[in-house]
Amino acid sequence: MISVRNLTKRYGEVLAVQDVTFDVAEGEVMGFLGPNGAGKSTTIRILTGYIPASAGTVTVAGLDALSESLAIRQKLGYLPENVPLYPELRVEEYLRWRGRLKGVAARDLKAAVERVMGQCGLMHMRTRIVGQLSKGYRQRTGLADAMVSNPPLLILDEPTGGLDPHQRKEVLDLIRGLAHDHTVLLSSHLLAEIEAISTRVMIIQKGRLLANGRVSELATRLDDAPRVTVEAKGRRDAVLHALAAVLRECGESCDADELPDGWTRLTLRPGHDKDPREAIAAALRFAGLPMRELHRQVRTLEDLFLRITAQAAQRTDEEPAAAPAAEAAAR
Amino acid sequence: MRMARQLSILLAREVESLFLTPIHYVVLTVALVFNGWSFWFALNISGGNVEESVRLFFGESPLVWLVLVLVPPLLTMRSFAEERRSGTLEMLLTAPVAEIEVVLAKFLAGLAFYVAIWVPSLLYLAIAKSYGAIPDAGPIATSYLGIVLLGALFTAAGLFASSLTQTQVLAALLATVFNLLLLLVPFVSRFVGIEALERFLVELSIARHFGDSFSKGLIDVGHVSFYVVLTGVLLFWTVRSVESQRWR
Repeated sequence: MISVRNLTKRYGEVLAVQDVTFDVAEGEVMGFLGPNGAGKSTTIRILTGYIPASAGTVTVAGLDALSESLAIRQKLGYLPENVPLYPELRVEEYLRWRGRLKGVAARDLKAAVERVMGQCGLMHMRTRIVGQLSKGYRQRTGLADAMVSNPPLLILDEPTGGLDPHQRKEVLDLIRGLAHDHTVLLSSHLLAEIEAISTRVMIIQKGRLLANGRVSELATRLDDAPRVTVEAKGRRDAVLHALAAVLRECGESCDADELPDGWTRLTLRPGHDKDPREAIAAALRFAGLPMRELHRQVRTLEDLFLRITAQAAQRTDEEPAAAPAAEAAAR
Repeated sequence: MRMARQLSILLAREVESLFLTPIHYVVLTVALVFNGWSFWFALNISGGNVEESVRLFFGESPLVWLVLVLVPPLLTMRSFAEERRSGTLEMLLTAPVAEIEVVLAKFLAGLAFYVAIWVPSLLYLAIAKSYGAIPDAGPIATSYLGIVLLGALFTAAGLFASSLTQTQVLAALLATVFNLLLLLVPFVSRFVGIEALERFLVELSIARHFGDSFSKGLIDVGHVSFYVVLTGVLLFWTVRSVESQRWR
């Protein structure tokens, strides 16, 4: 549905997006993650044809974003980041106008507007003036606008920005409902929600695409094993001794810290396919050591995101420093 | 066909927007007061001679010139500047519409509002008639033609100014300065000293267009095409300027 090759966007001296390549297949829900100012909105604006790329090619539904922008815009529902709406219109008027502008036939218009108002929970707000809507209802109006012509592709720039947790859940449920017959690209800096509804995730930082794949794939690629945390009562040596067999089994190094209150805290990285919790509990019971915590944590997208972006930041910091060092070594 | 459809949808929206914005009613009211005032002046100066007052009203009344110069910038200042500032231009230009459709819709809506401001002045003629004067239809029709052509030119200039900035006030100021320059160019011509340039500048004189043809019931092809061509050029620049927002 979307194909982006070596996309670069320059604003004067500033490189907003550098050499980004990705695809979004039909029917996919692609999550687009990155800190603020990473280049998400710029990339999205290029996809929607609002701004052109400095280099690279972008095709949407097989159409070139630059030369066939008008045809693309007919297949696209777009929710811009700050949801700009005409403040003087009423919700229903606005949606009717947008529907007509997007080519919804006059006889289908009423039904189309009713449908999106229903989907977005706007029925009781239809006669409200847009300028007086709360942030949540503005967002819903924008979303209804994106959907009014029932386009096959939805591009949503921070669709849950500024919403409270309840509204956020509603919007996410709505997007999840759309996913079965739409292709969706949505950006966010809230990772949990992306994780919940996306089939695939892209992470972008400082204009560069750092990662692209399923959340589980990303975890494997980072060699990011689940962690198991144990807290048992006793000295460090006693606890390590009691768990010696389990630790050998896991084969990995573990961190063991004696806490000031006489408990010892262990962190293990047993690998993706292993879950040593049962063995740990049994071993501690056998040794007669009380236990107050036993927990296996799989990396969330949030952890991944922090790790990937931190790694990238480190790399870019090291680059200039590494070059002279390498030169010196060559001499 | 598609363009006509999109244009009519956009135009309806633009007209609605003009009539839903309070400031435009202020502009409308002030313009009507000025027009009424200057007709009253014209009547006084001409000593009650109705034909003479009509001629004065359209050609030489400074208050009418004030309306001509100031009203289009005030009607167009919001058009692109406000849409850019509030971000709605992004909504508009990511819908399946072409820039030229947006520009034409805003132009036609602005011109329609401007024409609406002039409609009540037909009443003056009706009143004059009721006092027994028989104003000559020809000069009146061409005077209105001149006023509409000039309005089109100034509306296009206002749109162009508005497409250059995000600040409404700056847009209005730019457009007003442009309009005033266009009015004042012929006066500068005296100090130029190059005869060919002088003659060219005199040809640009809007006051002369009105004095020589529009107010006299003449349609001078040269004068008419001056307005049509300049309006077209300004609209073209506006389309280009809106397109270039994408590139900036």
